[in-house]
Amino acid sequence: MPAVDIPETETREKAGLAAPWNVVVHNDPVNLMSYVALVFRKVLGFSKDKAQRHMLEVHHKGRSIVWTGGREKAEFYVQQLHSHLLLATLEPAPQDK
Amino acid sequence: MKLTATEEGALDLEEIPPFLYELLNAVPLQAASSDPRVESRFFPDPALDELLAEDWKSFVQPELQATFLSAREVVLADLLGTSELDEGFSMEIPPDHMDAWLSALNQARLAIAEENHFGEKDMSEEISPDTSDPRSIALFQISFYGFLQECLVKMQE
Repeated sequence: MPAVDIPETETREKAGLAAPWNVVVHNDPVNLMSYVALVFRKVLGFSKDKAQRHMLEVHHKGRSIVWTGGREKAEFYVQQLHSHLLLATLEPAPQDK
Repeated sequence: MKLTATEEGALDLEEIPPFLYELLNAVPLQAASSDPRVESRFFPDPALDELLAEDWKSFVQPELQATFLSAREVVLADLLGTSELDEGFSMEIPPDHMDAWLSALNQARLAIAEENHFGEKDMSEEISPDTSDPRSIALFQISFYGFLQECLVKMQE
């Protein structure tokens, strides 16, 4: 039988899509702390306490990972956070080997 | 200026002095700044991935632009409904317009900060309003819009 190379490429792409991604929110000096916490509750469905915790992490540490999961949903969350003018990015989540 | 949360969940703004009324009217215009720095802040790259950034510009940025514009239009319509009384101007922010106001006020604050290169230090400065100093007016404007945002956030909690 002839060898087929294509499946290897597909496997890599699938692995890339399946790998977890972090949604990261970065600090900015203008957005109000109360507003950032409200956006976390609205967009990510956080409880009041969880929203407050992540907001404070952004404020004190400069960034907070607010969600980890599939790339498509991570992009969706980043878009939602951008629509509320929060500085958000997605980055590959470190994986255990 | 008097702020009252109504039983229907609206925010009534009454006895607005002319200077603050002027600042309120400036929200949609200020938020629609065409300064390139403002554009960079409103539409940040979503990742280091250049390919994603390009796609984002083509597909997501127009949606974000439409969202921001729609919020400004709602605010503009509310401002057109302002009435002038002896004790000052008065207007109402209905409950279903609060998200639009939160967005437009945020857009305006970020735009002013970018245009004036305000950073962490400027934002935590004690404000002494001086109408002859544009920087002082800009900081006061950010602070006034922030105060309104805080009121709207509290009403949504």
